[in-house]
Amino acid sequence: APGCSRRPRRPGTSNTAPHPNYAAPMGTTAKEEMNKFWAKNAKLNRPMSPHLTIYKWSVPMMMSITHRGTGVGLSGAISAFALAALVLPGNYPYYLDLIHSLYIGPYLIGLAKFGIAFPVSYHTYNGIRHLWWDIGKGFKIPEVYRTGYTVIALSVITSIAVAFL
Amino acid sequence: MAAIVRLSSVCRRGVKPLFYQSTFLARPLAVPHTYKEHPYQLTAKIHASQALCAGSGSKAASLHWTAERVLSILLLAMGPVAYFNPGPFMDYSLAAALTLHGHWGIGQVLTDYVHGDAKIKMANAGLFLLSTVTFAGLCYFNYNDVGICKAVAMLWSK
Repeated sequence: APGCSRRPRRPGTSNTAPHPNYAAPMGTTAKEEMNKFWAKNAKLNRPMSPHLTIYKWSVPMMMSITHRGTGVGLSGAISAFALAALVLPGNYPYYLDLIHSLYIGPYLIGLAKFGIAFPVSYHTYNGIRHLWWDIGKGFKIPEVYRTGYTVIALSVITSIAVAFL
Repeated sequence: MAAIVRLSSVCRRGVKPLFYQSTFLARPLAVPHTYKEHPYQLTAKIHASQALCAGSGSKAASLHWTAERVLSILLLAMGPVAYFNPGPFMDYSLAAALTLHGHWGIGQVLTDYVHGDAKIKMANAGLFLLSTVTFAGLCYFNYNDVGICKAVAMLWSK
C-alpha cells in the first residue's frame, strides 16, 4: 500500500480498506504564509477591521491582557533595576535611604508596597491558572470564570496582606 | 489520483523532495470526492499526518513550549525557597530564571504583534540585547551589592 507502512488506527474506523494520507504539508511554512498575509494587506493599504473597539470586553479577556501587561511591566521593571545597578554610582542601601528620606507617611509606603505586590501576585496566580490550562484542565466557561475570580480575589488579598508586612 | 501517489512520497522520502517538483500544489490538497468520509475522520487523518510521518517537521517549537512551562514551575518553586533560604545561590538562580522567563515571555509578545521578516529579526535582536544587559546587571548587583534576596527583604523592612 502507498504511504507509511504501519499506522495506528482510530477506534471505530474500518481496517479493511487501505487509505493513503489525505493531507500533504504545504509548499510554504506557516511563518512564510503569515508574512505573505501581512505583506499583501500592508501593500494594498487595507484598513484593519475594528476589533478591540467593538467587541464586548469580558472578564477572561481583561484577565488575559492584564496577565500580559503585568508580565511586560514586571520584566521592564527588572530590566530597569538591572540597568540602574550597572549605571548608577551609589549602592543599594544608599538609594534605599534616599527613598526613605523622601517618602513621608505610612500610607504612601503601604500604597507603594501594594503597587509592587499586586502585579507580582496577579501574574503568579494567573500563571498557575495558565499552567492548569496547559495540562488541559478548566476550559469549561464556568470553570474559566470561577478560576478567574479566584485569581483576582487571591491577588488582592495577598497584596494587601504583603503590604502590611 | 496522481496527486495521491505524489502525497505518498512524503512519507517515504520526506518533505524536501516535494519542494523540487514543479507541479507541487502550494495549497492543501482537496480531498477527492470519491472518498466519502465523515469530516471528523478526515480531520483526524490530516492532523495525524505529522505524527504518522515522523521526521518531516521540526520539534523545536514544541520543545520550546515545554521548556517555557518547566521554567515557570521552577520559578514558582523558587519564591518560597528564596524566602526561607536566602543567599548567593538563590540570588544567582533567581537572576537566571527571572531573566529567561522574561526573555521568553516578551519573545511571545513580539511574535504576536511584530510582523515582517526584517522587523521580527530586529525586535528579537533588541530583546536579546536587553535580556543580556538585564542578566549582566542582576549578576553585577548580586556580586557587588546586597543581592536580590537581601534587596527584597530590605525594601520591605521600610
